[in-house]
Amino acid sequence: MKVVDIFRRAGRNLRQAKGRTVLTSLAIAVGAFTLTLSLAAGEGARRYADNLLKNNIDPQALYITKDDSLTSGDGGNMNLQEYSGDTAAGYRPGSTVKMMTKDDIAKLSARSDLKEVVPFYNLMPTYSQFEGISKKYVASLSYYDATIVSETAAGTVPQLGKQIGDKDILVPEEYAMQLGLKPADLLGKKVSITFSRAVQTPSQEQIEQAFMSGGQEAVANLVKPETKTFEYIVSAVLKKPAMAMMSRPQLQVSTGTAKVLAAFSEGNSATAGQVMAVSALAVGAPEATKETLKKEYGYTVQTAKDAQGVLFSFVNILQSIVVGFALLALIASVFGIINTQYISVLERTSQIGLMKALGMSRGGVAKLFRYEAAWIGFIGGALGVILALIVGTIANPLINKALELGNNHLLVFVWWQIALLILGLVLIAIIAGWFPARKAARLDPIEALRTE
Amino acid sequence: MIEVKHVTKTYGKKKNSFKALKDVSFTVPDGASVAIIGKSGSGKSTLMHAMSGLDRPEKGEVVIDGENILVLKPKKVDAFRSEKMSFIFQSFFVQGNESCYNNVSLPLEIAGVPARNRRTKILSALRAVGLDEKVKSRARDLSGGQKQRLAIARAIVNQPKVLFADEPTGNLDSATGAVIEKLLFDYNKKEKATLIIVTHDIDIAKKCDVMIYIKDGKVESVTGGKK
Repeated sequence: MKVVDIFRRAGRNLRQAKGRTVLTSLAIAVGAFTLTLSLAAGEGARRYADNLLKNNIDPQALYITKDDSLTSGDGGNMNLQEYSGDTAAGYRPGSTVKMMTKDDIAKLSARSDLKEVVPFYNLMPTYSQFEGISKKYVASLSYYDATIVSETAAGTVPQLGKQIGDKDILVPEEYAMQLGLKPADLLGKKVSITFSRAVQTPSQEQIEQAFMSGGQEAVANLVKPETKTFEYIVSAVLKKPAMAMMSRPQLQVSTGTAKVLAAFSEGNSATAGQVMAVSALAVGAPEATKETLKKEYGYTVQTAKDAQGVLFSFVNILQSIVVGFALLALIASVFGIINTQYISVLERTSQIGLMKALGMSRGGVAKLFRYEAAWIGFIGGALGVILALIVGTIANPLINKALELGNNHLLVFVWWQIALLILGLVLIAIIAGWFPARKAARLDPIEALRTE
Repeated sequence: MIEVKHVTKTYGKKKNSFKALKDVSFTVPDGASVAIIGKSGSGKSTLMHAMSGLDRPEKGEVVIDGENILVLKPKKVDAFRSEKMSFIFQSFFVQGNESCYNNVSLPLEIAGVPARNRRTKILSALRAVGLDEKVKSRARDLSGGQKQRLAIARAIVNQPKVLFADEPTGNLDSATGAVIEKLLFDYNKKEKATLIIVTHDIDIAKKCDVMIYIKDGKVESVTGGKK
């Protein structure tokens, strides 16, 4: 018997038992539906992450730390560390971190395979003031990262890779809103930032002198923290970007200014100039530079690709959980197919007997039942995929709105994945149909024809 | 020519064994009509199964056109049956869900006849049994006599050399039975095909060229045929 004929007969047999066919394939459809959506969501998330990084991060960007616990997620070392001049308290309570010292930064700056070496300055202003508003605010301050794209609500920022001017300051849209101002109103306004630092410890002589001249008050004045106010002009108001990785609202100044401000607030304390991390641009291949830095100094370096890897692995873990559930649904549907086909074989013993009497081989009979199972798999798969496509088309705009993804779709359907999925389901169905098919093939035609 | 030589078939094992056929031998000439007569349990159905290669007796030979089908490989026997033999059963065994057309198409599909050659064969077989107006009807909607006619159309569509009929009129009233008998004998005469009817009905048996009486698994007598 020709394959085409068996195939068509299998299809007809199923059509004649419509209810049973649909119910059996629904079980597969559930699995197919979940798998299609989770594949689409995974693909969408990966594309989103990819876009995010492509739009935000210069592929040459490197993030260099001395302490690998910072990038491994531990956020510092919890053990008692020996003092070596470059250890400091980490941002996690109780932890210590190896810091990059001035010398380390100078070393990196001198390298020919790195450019734009910028330490992660830790700027902690006492308060900030906006022109025309008398209140003082505590605002977070950082420096402008020229390797990341910024969108503006008003004003302009230089093209990617170029720093803003040393007298410029960037204000996030959120601040403007909280101040009750339109973004454009802030342009050209002055922002004053006040820093304070501990003065140098006075010597014994100085204290005595002060006491002699001005009494207790003069001594207090001697150790009073020194404050200084810096003024900048708002050059742009930054939008909260749809593609932002870390969209914390912050005031931003140029790296040059940040260096000055950091130098002032640190004074000449023992830890002055130490930072947790340094960002830089690789001149050559980022991966090669990463290896060199690791070999030469033992530094931990994250490239743009590594950052992508972190995001991707997160997406992958979430996706594999959903896929796991879908697979469970599929396993359940396999037993559904086995059961239905067994019953079908029992119901159709006389038909099987007749076909065998008419000269159909064992293989032919087995094929007939396997193809029926394959049809069930195909129908179920197609049903699930179509449902998923419909749901995806409806849900995508809603998800975009809810998560503010801009033009990115969270559910991205890839045709070859869907085709592969249906093919896989057909294969699973055939495997499930194997045992009933074997039972049908082994039926004794004489026995089968005796029934009725 | 079909030669049955010393065929012995035993069911069961050792203590519970039952000999359904005991050293059965006879010869059927090509184109003859043969009745295998016997009471139920006499072994006549077993004999038919052995002659068609559906069953494998442990001893003896069934030689059809010079070939002992009992030693052929299963696949060969299947192919042999699909090309040269066909069956009609007491309870029809038509596929109720399928159309008449697709019921008749089955043996052609099994024999691997190309799709383009099937249509004329199927339609002429249905015409031969007078069902040419029921081509698209579903088999389950037919009456008993029509079902058996459909079974005959299915049996003759691939022009078999040997046609086995197992109690073909057993489930039918005498008038319808007569129509079925006529169709069978017509095919036997027109196509010079061997017709083997298994029955306990003496009236049909008398219309055959050869009558083989089976009793308790043995050939009791052969009448009519040239032995």
